[in-house]
Formats: sequence, structure tokens, C-alpha cells
Amino acid sequence: MDVKTLKEKAVAEISSIKSVEDLKRVGTTLLGRKGLFSEYLQELKTVNQEQRKSLGQAINELKGWAEAKLQELEALYKKEEQEQKERESRVDITMPGNRPLLGKAHPITLTFREMERIFSSLGFEVAEGPNIELDYYNFEALNLPKDHPARDMQDTFYVAPGVVLRTHTSPVQIRVMERQLPPIRIIAPGAVYRHDQDISHTPMFHQVEGLMVDRNVRFSDLKGILTIFLHEMFGENVPLRFRPSYFPFTEPSAEVDIGCVICGGKGCRVCKETGWLEILGSGMVHPEVFRIVGYDPEEVSGFAFGMGVERIAMIKYGIDDIKQFYYNDVRFLAQF
Amino acid sequence: MRVPFEWLKEFVPIDVGASDLAKRLTMRGFEVEAEEAVRPAFSDVIVGEILDIDRPAGTEKLLLCKVDIGRDVLPIVCGAQNIATGNKVPVALPNTRLADGTVIEKRKVKGIESYGMLCSERELGLSDDHSGIFILSDEFRVGDSLSDALGLADTVFDVNVPPNRGDCQSILGIAREVASILNKKVTLPSFTLVEKEDPELRMSLAVLSPDGCPRYVLRMIRDIAILPSPFWMRNRITKCGMRPISSIVDVTNYVMVELGQPLHAFDYQKLARARIEVRLAGEKSTFRSLDGVDRKLEEGDLLICDGEGPVALAGIMGGENSEITSVTKHVALESAYFNPLFIRRTARRLELRSEASLRFEKGIDIANADFAAQRAVSLMHRIAGGTVVKGSKEFYEKKEPRTIFVNLKKVGELIGMPIEREDIIKSLQSIDIPVVKREKEGVVVSVPPFRHDLAEYMDIVEEVARIIGYENIPATVPISRLMPVRQQKMSLTASLAKQYFVSSGFYEAINYGFFNEKDITRFLIPEGDTRSRCVSILNPISQELGVMRTLLSPGLLESLAYNVNRGIKHLRMFEVGKVFYKADGTDSDSEARPSLRPGTPGGSEEPHPQAGTRAYAEVRRGERRSDNEGIQRKANRCEPLPQEPVFAGLVLTGREREYFWKGAPPELDFFDLKGVLEGMLDSFGLSLEVKRSEEPFLNRYNASDLFIAGVRAGWAGELKQEVLAAYGIEQKVYAAEIDLTIVAAQGLEERKYQPVPRYPSVIRDFSFIIEPGISVGSLIDNIKAVSPLIVSVGVFDLFKREKTSVAFRVTFQSLEDTLRDESVNKLQEIIIRKLTQIEGVKLRA
Ligand SMILES: [Zn+2]
Repeated sequence: MDVKTLKEKAVAEISSIKSVEDLKRVGTTLLGRKGLFSEYLQELKTVNQEQRKSLGQAINELKGWAEAKLQELEALYKKEEQEQKERESRVDITMPGNRPLLGKAHPITLTFREMERIFSSLGFEVAEGPNIELDYYNFEALNLPKDHPARDMQDTFYVAPGVVLRTHTSPVQIRVMERQLPPIRIIAPGAVYRHDQDISHTPMFHQVEGLMVDRNVRFSDLKGILTIFLHEMFGENVPLRFRPSYFPFTEPSAEVDIGCVICGGKGCRVCKETGWLEILGSGMVHPEVFRIVGYDPEEVSGFAFGMGVERIAMIKYGIDDIKQFYYNDVRFLAQF
Repeated sequence: MRVPFEWLKEFVPIDVGASDLAKRLTMRGFEVEAEEAVRPAFSDVIVGEILDIDRPAGTEKLLLCKVDIGRDVLPIVCGAQNIATGNKVPVALPNTRLADGTVIEKRKVKGIESYGMLCSERELGLSDDHSGIFILSDEFRVGDSLSDALGLADTVFDVNVPPNRGDCQSILGIAREVASILNKKVTLPSFTLVEKEDPELRMSLAVLSPDGCPRYVLRMIRDIAILPSPFWMRNRITKCGMRPISSIVDVTNYVMVELGQPLHAFDYQKLARARIEVRLAGEKSTFRSLDGVDRKLEEGDLLICDGEGPVALAGIMGGENSEITSVTKHVALESAYFNPLFIRRTARRLELRSEASLRFEKGIDIANADFAAQRAVSLMHRIAGGTVVKGSKEFYEKKEPRTIFVNLKKVGELIGMPIEREDIIKSLQSIDIPVVKREKEGVVVSVPPFRHDLAEYMDIVEEVARIIGYENIPATVPISRLMPVRQQKMSLTASLAKQYFVSSGFYEAINYGFFNEKDITRFLIPEGDTRSRCVSILNPISQELGVMRTLLSPGLLESLAYNVNRGIKHLRMFEVGKVFYKADGTDSDSEARPSLRPGTPGGSEEPHPQAGTRAYAEVRRGERRSDNEGIQRKANRCEPLPQEPVFAGLVLTGREREYFWKGAPPELDFFDLKGVLEGMLDSFGLSLEVKRSEEPFLNRYNASDLFIAGVRAGWAGELKQEVLAAYGIEQKVYAAEIDLTIVAAQGLEERKYQPVPRYPSVIRDFSFIIEPGISVGSLIDNIKAVSPLIVSVGVFDLFKREKTSVAFRVTFQSLEDTLRDESVNKLQEIIIRKLTQIEGVKLRA
């Protein structure tokens, strides 16, 4: 019985392995039930007692070596096979991805949302009112009696005597104050309508109204709240200018300008060479308005403000044509 | 209001530049919208004096002048004949450019050297007058620049005067503000009035409506000449945006702009019985105003009449019968104060607005009427000659000036900064608001007669804030109590729905709240349907925007068509917005058509959650106001307002996307639409129920009505081709509208936890063959009804050949234990038995 031959045969077989098939075959040839090692171990029974032990040990060692070798090769082939599979799965990663469909919210909605976010963080709630509004709420209760010259400032759509399409969101102020007592902190977003259609006007547009009524509300508070709002909306560094103005339902009244974002204040066509852009109207609630809703102007004070959403969106996004908001052109909407 | 800077300087010394002043006026509330630089149309013309005139032999019309130009004396040839020795004239030297662009050269005229040219007004671009050389006033200095001498280089401010500041529709009014800004005093124009007794010209004056006309001053001037007025006056009138006419009319306009007092000049000889009567029109009649238009008068219109009838619409326009003409000799001048309400009412009705009526409407300075009349007749005398008749006729119902008590501590409290008592008083005095009484808490101020806008303490607070300067008031954060900010259900619902649609691939559209009444017929809506009775606009911009919309889809189709026409043919869009239903009481057809149950008017009557949670008990008691009945009744005397429910509208067309390299994307259809609606409602915790729809604009085989908890909430389906054709769309469009007020009312309930199953579920598949007309939905309902252990029934296959085959996947689940096969088998048998009992349903082998 020649262990040396066995070793030579086993080495020869193992080194002949070139493929997974070879590996299988060699595995059977060497380690199978009728394989070479079985054969030798069978034969061992015929060897005498003294030699059996040392021969057996040598064969088993050799077998262990062969098993380990084959396992090693098997792992190698498995790895190669895996790699081959992965190679085959190669994709062109520059092909377009399969996007879930996503639409876009209208920039007016986005602007509303941003304004609501800012004011709600300052404790203002959203209130609403009807678009078709009584003359009483739209004008009279806002200290704009019939025959008031300031009624000319707003071209009104009428739907019936005494019933109009609201020309501003200010009537919501009255409706809210009629319903509840101070303290009040609301904003009222919504559509408003004016009989006006030209290059810079659409007959419907959007406004956000704000109202705060409490004890000891000061004009400086109006400046404070609107400064916070405008800095949030247009950035900390935008210059602001509060200047006296006139609205029948506020006093003192203030128009608020921001430094022109187009020219940086140097003067351009957009800001009519002034370096400033009018952004909102505001003021302390007129005592007459408080009297109309049955509040005592000696007890409470407040401020109100109103602004055009299209105008703010135009400045914020750099849109130069108000009509774009109403074409609903997907190539426009997709930009926001 | 156009304000020439040089004119302003006549009233108040100005030591700052025009631009600087413009900024400061803006910060005072008089926004200077434009600073217009006025420059002469010519260059380098100087003032010369004619020393000598010679008629050279051999020329017919040419004059050879010796002209002193200060540094030299030049020979200049001139063709015009209106010059005389000693005249001061404009001289254009060689290289000077005239208004029409001509450049003057040294030249020879008929052999005579000419070193320049004497100019007419037209050549200088000052007027159309080319009748002769522009003869300058003797005060001009030889050698001076003509532009400087005439004050031609100027800045004109275009001031946006607030509507409550009628007093600032004048140079004087603006000058008062400027004086306060610069800490200066206003000087009124000075003049000497030379009057003469006139026994002949006598007038009688009667004011029969003191309410409409509390002051009327009448002055006369005789033997005037109707001429063009001098250049300086025409120049100012032109700069202020008016057209010079003739001496007398120009003076009335000049003084109106200067002092803010509109004036009217009558031809004295045309006033019957030399009488002026101010009264109200008694009945309807017509009156021809000086623009030649017949005006309809109504009872109550304020009229100026002579001894026979109306000669002017008070404060608005004079009559043709008494106007100044080229042959007028004697003038009767009216300087009056008319009640703004009277003027406004008539001017508005007649749609007749003049410079005068605009000022009267806002209220002028009643105290200044006589001064303005004196100023005007003296100017008339100066430029049109004649004699001013001594004295005036006057009616004046004097009123005590208004006084206002100002609590000085409160002024600072309201503005938000401490202000010294004396600073407040000084501020007010700087704009002619004097303190008439000092008290412990504050002061009483007197309102000057030209300030019609000052009625109560808040008006005074505004004045103080304005004069301190808004830029000097700090920005503070209000001191207030913290309160939770809550979102109203309706606005929360709308915003969540929008987010759902956007994340489902829909683009948001916003359309106008009005549409074309024809949209109703395009959508085949029958008469009597709620949606056919639109709220009409009485004064629409156009028929296309003539009524308030009752549907969102017409607007969405227009948006869709706009995009399809631009090559975007695979698209989904949505809009969340209000529709408007007429609110005419008993709705007879509300039964004919399942009601869409619109929300409360405007969705606004929902109690505001913030309502007085911590209301000021000291101010008033209670949360929601209980004291407001009287207040609201005032408003609600009108008919009920239309209903304004908020709807979501959806449209989709084409494929899910145009193409994809992994395979062609499927065409969108009814189930894509339904799926979005189901998903949206699910996000509110609601489920969608459908029934076949009879909406006239839908393909009824591909359309459903939508229900939420048994309430009809809208519709969904394929739009009919003829409807789409009306909007120019040729491809299939699926659309839906759903009432979000119902979603808001039903949805958003607080969710309650359901235990998550701890035992495995069992799944069984079933296949049935069904006859046409059997709805899969009813089979699902039947399966679900078999046992509470059935937790879901899905459709995983459907195919149609001669018969329809449908395959269900049913999930069985118990919360108590693992389901055994026998019990599921039992349920399976029941399902099969129950379904096959239905006629037209067979188990598929
Ligand atoms: Zn600019």
C-alpha cells in the first residue's frame, strides 16, 4: 500500500481542476463513496496491525488536506460565479430614473403658504369671509360711507344693489370683530375682484389681510410685526420704509416699501427710478371702525394690514407679467 | 397734483435740493411719484436789447437791428415787424439750437451780415405763437440766459395727494407741508388791490341754500381785454398740466392751483338782471354747460342762477350762456365754498369731473375765499387791464372752528414711544394746528378751516406721528398673551387636499371666480339645475367674465386646452376653489337633483376657534359675542348672500406620462381618476361611494356620482366629446368635481387605535364568471358581508371575452387565534354559495 502514490494521484487530480464541473468530478473521484480515499481506507483493513495506525493517520491527514483544498476551490468558484452574475446585471446608470409622478402647487398657493407660516408663528390665525360681499362689509363698516371720495379708489363689480364682489379682504376684519372679542390676531387670505383689466391688472387677484386687536397695541407694534414678516419673506437685509398714507379704515396709516430687489435701490424701470417697491398698506384700526363693530376705542387699539399676493409672488420669484398666474401654463407651474 | 419747484419757492424759502425735498415729502405722506425735469427746448438763447432799428434800402420787409447782448453789440437781421427800439428780446447767437433743431449760423441776408436771430415763442418751443418776436418784460437783464430769466429749467413734482387732503391740491397746501418739514414759514403772495367805486356795475346776490353754499364771494372788474396771458403765467399753467386759454380764464386756473380755491368768471353782461342766486334745482330740466353738452338736472342739484335761470352747475362747470368769450368786457368773479357732498353727488351722477369739482368734493378752505377773489381780480387787472370794482358781494355763514381734545400721554402710548409734551405741541403748530387751551391731561387744539380730515384725537395722533417721522418710530414686538393657533377645518381640508393632488402628479391651476354664462350651455346643464342659475355681475368686464362660476371644470378645460395647444398632451391638473350658488330661498329643483349641500355662506360662520377663549371680561363678558345682534342686523337687512362652497376639480388626459423606455405607459382612464379620489378621501379617513351618474356632460357609461357617508358630494367621469369640442379639445378628458365642504364636515375625525393582528392571516382566491350588468362592487359587498373575519376583498384579475371573468383575493383574519383550515373552508363555501345564488354569477371551473 503506497501512500505516496495516493498523494501523487490526489495532487494530480486537484491540480487538474479547471472548472466547477471538474471540481464536482474530482470531489467524487477523491472523496465519493467509491472514491480513491474510500478505496485506500478499505484496503487499510488488509494491512497489518503495526502499519495500520500510522498508514491510517497518513491517509486521513491526506484526506483532510484534500477536503480543505476542495472547499477552498468551491468557495473560489462560488465567488467567481457571484461576480459573473453581478457583471451580467450591469446597468447604464445614466439612463433616466423612474420618477414617481409629482405635480406642482401654484405659486400663489406657495406664497399664501409661506405667509401663513410666518404669521402663524407669530400667533395669527387664518380667518375667511365670502367673496360675494355686502356693500356694508366691503365699504360702509370700513368707514367708507356712500359718497366717500375714497370709494373711487376701487372699481367695484356689483351683483345686486348693496352686494358686491369684495374689492379687498378687509371686510373679513369686520366679520371677525362682529363675532368675537379681543384679543384678535388673524390673517385673512383670499380672492378679491376689481373692475380693471390691463397690462398690470387682472380682474381677480389675491390678498392677505391682517388684524391684531388687543389692549395697548401700538403703532410701533405694527412696525415690529411687519418688519419681522418682510424680513422673513424677503431676507434679513432687505431695506424697509414705512411712510404715511391714507386708508379710510386705518389711522395713522402707513404704506410699506421694500428696497427694490431688481436694482438694489439704485433706481430702475420696475421701481420707477425710486429704488423702492410698494409692498403693503397698513395702519392703526380707525376708531370709527371700532365704534361700528361695538368696540370701545378708548379700551382697545389695533392694527391692520393688507397686501397683494401676486405682487409679493412677482417680487419674490422675479415674475414680470401678472397674467402668467392665470394661464396655468405647465411650463410656468413646473418652475416652482 | 403737479408742483413746479420754482413756484413752491415763491411760498417758502427752500434750502435743500429738489430730490431731497421730494424724498422728505414722500416720507410726510405726499408721495412724489415723479420728479420731472423741465428743460427749455433750445440752447443758449440770451436776453438782448434792441438799440436801434434800420430799414436797409432794397429790402421790403427786413429790419436791421443793433442788438446789445451785454458783452457786444451785434447787427441782426429780422423779418418780424412787432419790434421797437428799447424792446428786450430773445437772441439766438451762432451755434445756438432752436426748438425745432435748427442751428443758427452767421449768414448774409440780401447782402447784409447777420450775427444771429431774434426769436418768436414758437421758435423757442414755448408756445405755438409765431405772430412775431417774443417781447420780454423790461425787468429782464441784458446778457442773461433766457432760460434762467424765464425760470424754464425747473423740476416739477408729481405728488400723489391723499384723497383726504384736499387742501394740498394747491401750491399753498404743499408749501405748508414743506414749511413744516424745513422749519420755515409760508409767505402768501403779496399784491396791492387797486379798486374804484363803480356806480354802474352793481349786482345782487342771494344764497337760498346755505347748506349747499355756506360762503359766496362775488367781485367785479370792468373793461378788461381778452388776450393771451403773459408767458410766466402760461408757463406755470402748462407745467401744472393745464392748457392756457386767455387772460381771464387763465387767471382763474392760476389762482385755483396757487391757492386751492376754484373760481368761476361770468361775463357780467350775460347775467340777467345782474343777479346771482345760489339755489337747488327744483325739478328735472336740462342745462347746456360750456362744453356744449346738455346736462340733465335733477332735484337737489346745486345751481348758480342769474335773474332768469341757471348759469352754472355750482362748483362743477359753467354754462354756455354766461361764459367768457373774446368780446367779454366786464367780468363777475365767483369765489365760493360749496358743500362737498352736493358737488360729489351731482358730479358723480353726471360723470362730469373738473379740476374745480375735484377740489370742492374734497373740501377747500372756506376762510380763504375772499383772499383768493382779491388775488384773482388783481391779477386780472395786471394782465388784462380794466378797473377793479370796489368792494364785493358776500354771503358767509361762519362756523366756529372745530376743537379736539388731545390726551398727550395717550399720543405717546399709541405711537409707541415717549414724546415730550412740548414736542407734540410744536409739531402741531408747525402745520397750523394751534393749541387753544392747556389742561392737566392734555391740550385742546383748534382745527384750521382747510383741514377737513381732522375730526378726532386719532387724527391728531396721525399728524404727530407724521411730523415726528415714521422712520423715527421704533419697531417693537407687541405685548400680548400667548394663544394656540388653530386651523379652521375648511382651510385645513383645502390645504391637505391640495397637497394630496400635487403629490399624485397634478398641477395646480387657479382660474377667475367668474366665467362665461355660455359655459353653462357648453356643459349642457339644463335649465332649473342649481348650476344654471348663476350670480350675474351687473357691470362685467366682458361676457366671457359675466357670471360667477358654478363649476370649476370650464376653467380647468381652458387651462388644459392652453397646454394641449402648446404640445403638452399628457397632463393632470386640479383646482381648489369656490363656486357660487344663488341663494334664492326655496329651491324647487333641489329634490330633482341630489343636493350638493353647499356649505354655510362663505364658510365663514364657523365660530372662530380663537374667539375670546380668554376674552376681556373687563371689556365685555363672554366668549363669542352676545352683544352683537344689533350690529349684525344692520348688515343682514339685505337679501341672503349666495353660497360659496369650496370644490376640488380634477382633469386628466392622455397617458400617465408621454413615454418611458421600460415600456409604454398606459392611457389614463376612469380608474386613475377614481383612484385619486379614493386616495384623497382615505387621507381624511373617508371612503368613496359611487353610483352611476346622469350628469349631462359626462359619458354615462364611464361616469359616476360621488358620495361620502351617503351624501352626494360630486361627480367623476369621462367628459362628452361635444363638451370637449366646445373648448377645442380633441382628446379624451376625464374630470371630477368634489365638494370639499362635505369632506371638511365628515373627515378629519380623530383616529382610534385598532390592535395589530398577532396571528397569521389566510388568503383564498375565487374566480367567477359574471353576466353583463352584474357590478363587481356588489359582489365585493356580498363577500364582505359573509363574516367579520373577512378583512379585505381585492380584485386581482378581470378579463372580458364573451363573458366577464373576475378573480377576487379574500383575506381572512382573526384577532383571537390562528384560523384553522376547516373554518376558512366553511367560509369559502358560504362565499361560493352566496355568490352563485345570484343570477348571472357562476363559479369558474
Ligand atoms: Zn429698481
